[in-house]
This record gives sequence, C-alpha cells and structure tokens, in this order.
Amino acid sequence: MFRAILLTQWKWSRLAIVAAIVLAFTIPILSVQRFAGSGAEWIEGRIVLQSMRAFAGWYALLASAVGLGMAVTAWSADHRGRHVYALSLPVPRWQFALMRFGAGALMLLLPALALWAGALLATSSVSIPAGMQAFPGSIAVRFLLGSLVIYSLFFAIASGTARTAGWVLGGLLVIVALVAFDSSIGLPDAITNDLLDFVLAWPRAIELFTGRWMLIDV
Amino acid sequence: MSLAIHTSDLAWRAGRDFALRDVALHVPAGSLYGFLGPNGSGKTTTIRLLLGLLRPAGGSITVLGRPVPSAISEVLARTGYVPERPHIYPTHTVGEALDYHSAFYPAWSADWASELVAGFRLDRARRVSALSKGETGKLMILLALAQRPELLVLDEPTDGLDPVVRRDVLGAVLEYVSQTGATVFLSSHLVHELERICDWVGVMDAGRLVTEMPMQRFKNGIKRLRVMEAPAELSTPPFSVLSRQPNGAGELMVVNGWEPAMSQYFESVGATLREVADLDLEEGFVELLRASRQPSR
Repeated sequence: MFRAILLTQWKWSRLAIVAAIVLAFTIPILSVQRFAGSGAEWIEGRIVLQSMRAFAGWYALLASAVGLGMAVTAWSADHRGRHVYALSLPVPRWQFALMRFGAGALMLLLPALALWAGALLATSSVSIPAGMQAFPGSIAVRFLLGSLVIYSLFFAIASGTARTAGWVLGGLLVIVALVAFDSSIGLPDAITNDLLDFVLAWPRAIELFTGRWMLIDV
Repeated sequence: MSLAIHTSDLAWRAGRDFALRDVALHVPAGSLYGFLGPNGSGKTTTIRLLLGLLRPAGGSITVLGRPVPSAISEVLARTGYVPERPHIYPTHTVGEALDYHSAFYPAWSADWASELVAGFRLDRARRVSALSKGETGKLMILLALAQRPELLVLDEPTDGLDPVVRRDVLGAVLEYVSQTGATVFLSSHLVHELERICDWVGVMDAGRLVTEMPMQRFKNGIKRLRVMEAPAELSTPPFSVLSRQPNGAGELMVVNGWEPAMSQYFESVGATLREVADLDLEEGFVELLRASRQPSR
C-alpha cells in the first residue's frame, strides 16, 4: 500500500522535486562563487560571512517552498474528488493520512540530500578562513527540518476541508495584519507580542526559520 | 433470509432542505437489488451512508454482517464500489490506476483484471483524464470487479453511457455474479434497466424508502383497474390504492399488491370490476411516487 502511495506521490510531485533538487544543489555552490577560485591564499572572513548571509534567505525560502508544494500536491487530487476515493478504500482514515504523510516526507529527503551534496562540493572548493567552519551537514539537516515543518503544518491544514483551511489561514492572516498595523490601530504592544508569539513561537518548530542558515560561519 | 445490507430507522440530514428518514433496507444476500428513485431522492446519500462516507444521524446499518461505520474498513475490503462520478485519480494512467487500486485489496485478481482490460479494449498507457465517458465507466467497473467483492455497490454506473457500453458493463457484472453469487446493490433512475436484471427493488423518494419488494411482485402487483359503482371509501381493501380517477361512468384505480383472487373484494363492496390492465414498470414506478407524495388518505 505504502509503495503505491509513494509512487503516486512521486508522480504528482516529481517535476517540483527535480526543480528543488537542482536549486538545492546549486545554492551552496553559488554562495561560494564570490570567493571560490580567486586564487588568493587568504580570504577575508568578512567577505565570506557577507556572501553566506546573502544566500541564507534562499535556503529558508526553498525549504518553505518545497514543504508547501509537497503538502499541496499530497491532497490536491483527493480534494478534487471530494475524498471519495480515499474514503472508500479499505484503510482507516488515520492510516491512509499517515501513509500519505510518510510518502511526502520521504520525498523531502531528496532536495535535502542534494543540498548536502552541493554544500560538500562548495565547501571543498574553497579554502575557509582560519576561525571559520563549514557546516554542510548542519545546513542540510536544517533544510530538511525546515521543509518538514512547513510540510507538516500545511499537510494538516490541507487534509481538512477547504472551509477549515480557509478559517485557519484566514485567522493567521488576520493576526499578521494586526501585528503589521498595530501602531496605526493603537493595539497595545503586549497584545501584539502575544499574537506574534502565537503565530511564530507557539509551535516552537517554526523558530527554526529564525536561526542562522549559514553554510560557512564562525 | 440472510441479508447483505440491513438498515433500520436510518436518518441523515443536510441543512433544512434534505433529510433521509426511517430508511429500512433489507437487501437479501445474493440478490440483484435495484435501488430506484428520481434524481435527488436520496439514493446516493443512502449509498454513502452504507459505505461509511457519511455518518448517520440516527438508526443502524449492517453490511455483510458487520456494523457500519464501526467496522467500515472490513466492509470496504469486501465491497466493490462504483460511485456516481468517477473518483479515481485523473492523472493516473489506466495501468497505474490498476496498480494503485490493487494494492489495497488482498483478493485482487490480476488475471481477471487483465482479461477485463483486454475485453473492454482499454489502453493501459492512456491517462484516466483522457478516457471517454464509456471507457471511464468500464474502468470503474473493472476496478470494482477485479477486487473480487462479495458485495457490489453501483451508483448509477451506466448513467450517460451509450447502449453498447452499457451492455458491456452490465454483462461483466452479471457474469461476475453468476460465477460468485455476489450481491449487487444497483442504484438507478432508469427503470427499464433495473427491470431486466434485478430480482429485488427498493424505491426511494424524497429521502424515504417508499417500497421494497421482489421485482416480480413489483412488476405483477401494480395494476390499473376499471371499476364501476365503487364506494367513495373502500373499506380495508387487500391491496393498496395508489390512485383513483373518474372514467366515464366508472373510475380507474391504480393498485399495488394485486392478485387475481382479489377481484371478489369488489363484489363484497357492491362494485363491479370490469377490467384489469398491466402497467409497465415505469408507469408503476410513477404511480408509486405519485401516491407517496400525496398526503395520506
């Protein structure tokens, strides 16, 4: 059963996954282009950090996009059929959802592995300044966890009805809007902070995205 | 008589507009049960309740001896279902749809599936979304049959299909039933289609099961009578009167549950029975619905 679901998930998401693999492999390599092959024996650490910071957002963005895309493709075919097929299969709903989740989660490994390979290649092609370290494994794991967090969140939202998803996403948007315009509507800071905590800090896993996505760091 | 499907006091409600009330189905094991009713009468809703796709608001459901929805996975493993609208993934090819579906059914017969693919002339490499309506109908039946079910639940399986495809599809179902003795629960609004193949019939209207009986009794029991001098109120007739309307000096009466010996009843109430005419199944069906929609006499 799981194999059948895995193959179906691959069919639905293979183009996006291949694109994500290419990007994940490329980003670390691009991040060291500025100082790779410069021939200089000594590279200023400041330049390395600047370059790493410039690309940090791309890792987080790609991880989010991969997780979101996988969550959407996991359920979109069932939504179109109003879940009649899934519900009429002789498998408990929780088991079916778990297998669907597992299939998508396995797919997330592929871009993370590509990122790891790209990061290893990138860091091996430059001489890292003294006092700095390369973190190809860490950034790949962070990427995997980041995509998994977003995937889990949106998988859960997408597994419900469109109305439920609308309520959850609408609620989040309202909170974001309140936080964004708190000064103009005179909302006390305490409430704003609580709301922000609710969105970002309450499921602590999302804090992952506020960390340092640096391939080479001090 | 063992029952493949049994419901009692089954109830369900969707907002203010539609409700199923007191549906009591008795589908004998091994029967071909025609579930008849106009569009919107509650046939599909009843089927969805039987298969655990909806939760009943009241009453009980037993399918293949197991309670629904509590034992629904076990029931679904032994049931082939063809919904009103194709439910399989349109991005799959025919071959992929077969592989995917077969993974969930331990009793799946790959040999028979291959035979049906060839018999229905389906192309395994073709995408489901590119199939014609007839090909999709054949694929749906194929998926339901190749899992070797004890119960087939077919919700308007031939709706919109041309006569050739319809014959192929129903032929495959009948062949399967003759080999295995499986029960078929076939919903349709096409009266003549059910008349040819079903041995039991249940009629739904406005969320209620109007009647349920062997097809033979349904076909033979509904008659149009021409009666003279019938009293305005018939006292405890042995048949049920579906409609009465004046006709010349007498009146025309459509009755259900008619048997030839009942003609004596009219003499006992001082009336004269002049003629007993057969109604075809469609006329009988329409009269039944008309009677069920009138306020009780």
